[in-house]
Amino acid sequence: MLSGGARLVVESMPERQSTSVVLMFGAGSRLEDDRLAGVSHFIEHLYFKGTKRRPSSKEIADAIEGVGGFINASTDKELTAYWARVPSEHMELGLDVLFDIIANSKLDPADIERERIVILDELRMYQDQPQDLVQNLFEELIWPGHPLGRDIAGTEESVTRLTRDEILEYADAHYRLPNLVIGAAGMLDENATLAVVRDQLSLRADPDGALAVAEPAPLESPHVLVRRRETEQAHICLGVRAFSYTHPDRYALDLLNTVLGEGMSSRLFLNIRERLALAYDVHSFTQKHRDTGYLGVYIGVDPKKAVDAVNAAMAELRSLSESEVLPDELARAKEFTKGRLRLELETTNGVAFWLTYQELLLGEIKTIDEELALVEAVTAADMKRVAREVLNGPVQMSVIGPFARDSAFRLAVGA
Amino acid sequence: MPGRDPHGGAAERIRKAIALVNSVADEAGDEEITPTEIAEAIRDCLELSDVDSVPNVRRYLGESLDAVSDGMPADFVAMTLYAALGALRERSPD
Repeated sequence: MLSGGARLVVESMPERQSTSVVLMFGAGSRLEDDRLAGVSHFIEHLYFKGTKRRPSSKEIADAIEGVGGFINASTDKELTAYWARVPSEHMELGLDVLFDIIANSKLDPADIERERIVILDELRMYQDQPQDLVQNLFEELIWPGHPLGRDIAGTEESVTRLTRDEILEYADAHYRLPNLVIGAAGMLDENATLAVVRDQLSLRADPDGALAVAEPAPLESPHVLVRRRETEQAHICLGVRAFSYTHPDRYALDLLNTVLGEGMSSRLFLNIRERLALAYDVHSFTQKHRDTGYLGVYIGVDPKKAVDAVNAAMAELRSLSESEVLPDELARAKEFTKGRLRLELETTNGVAFWLTYQELLLGEIKTIDEELALVEAVTAADMKRVAREVLNGPVQMSVIGPFARDSAFRLAVGA
Repeated sequence: MPGRDPHGGAAERIRKAIALVNSVADEAGDEEITPTEIAEAIRDCLELSDVDSVPNVRRYLGESLDAVSDGMPADFVAMTLYAALGALRERSPD
């Protein structure tokens, strides 16, 4: 813990050539009301436009790319992250640039107007990408009327309306030390890293009082949303509310997801694509937040086979709660999960993000061995119990394709 | 008979209806197929009692008949027929 309430997490990886540094704020689209929808994402874009010391985006990029490094940022629903990966001897430079953009960005009015156009184009681009759009529509159904159900980038209306004062006010409220975790991993000296952070980090220290988040209301019934588009393929997302990232059964849920629809030996792939030849792309996925989450299935399918494919996916979901997964499926899912985590942690960037996520979202850091042990401890009986609990909830489904009515889709999910 | 598909009759009739609809959708075949002929093929399916032995099969067939009556595109009619056929498949022994 640093003075002011920011936290620093460091992992020395002495065999590496690079060091990655991440600044992660507990501020994302979930904290925005309808009026401010998209402001976190807008700020993330604007912070690369120029500071007092580095007046343009080119100078910011040059500072890092000039030493062969990478710099980028991302906005999520519960956090925003700014990161740099640099040759280790330039770790101080990486931190300096990141601290500069989060504390000293000019937020020039002309830059705001230029970036507004870019973001509006980005929002319109998603409208032309049905595979992305169908997931956004699905999240609207999973969290109706809640900021979690909204696109991280906001709406065309909100982005068009956001003023510079609103952007400044939001940044001032959320970009404060108690809301920040700094992660660093690579060939670094822990004490030297701490010294750089102490010396250079400058943000407001007082906590802001506006961090409370509302929990989404429970879902009462299944819903189907069909968006008619004359696409060659139907794009379908269906799923149920599931667990948060603090839930004790989250590991069982992840393994269930792996058995169901991750990779080419998953049930969805083997049965819907290989056996029935119903869909080219079928997979499942989860999303987890502090108090909620979901288990979802995506299907890209010939429109004529759309309802048949939904029924086949529903049958796979039902089978998970009717009988235990087979021993070889469980073993494969565990090896898959453990292997993916280990691969993710091969890079300094992966480790820096992993540490920072844990500290910011969970308030504690597990070692990789502790994490792997929790995966290993899950049993087939746990997974069946979790499947029964999660799949008992009302199914939500979004569909994009050339469909004039939704009745057959409603029938498929009992809506 | 071991291994026999108990819904074979209904499945066969649904496949015939799908073939008719698909030939319209694909604009294939020498003869023009009318909506009345398609509706008749679907009604043939509905006459079989085994469409009631599996949940939703009759309702999907009803949806397809409605879609024909309402002049919906052939692909849409085909979708509901494939759904009926798939529902039979899900309940049939391998």
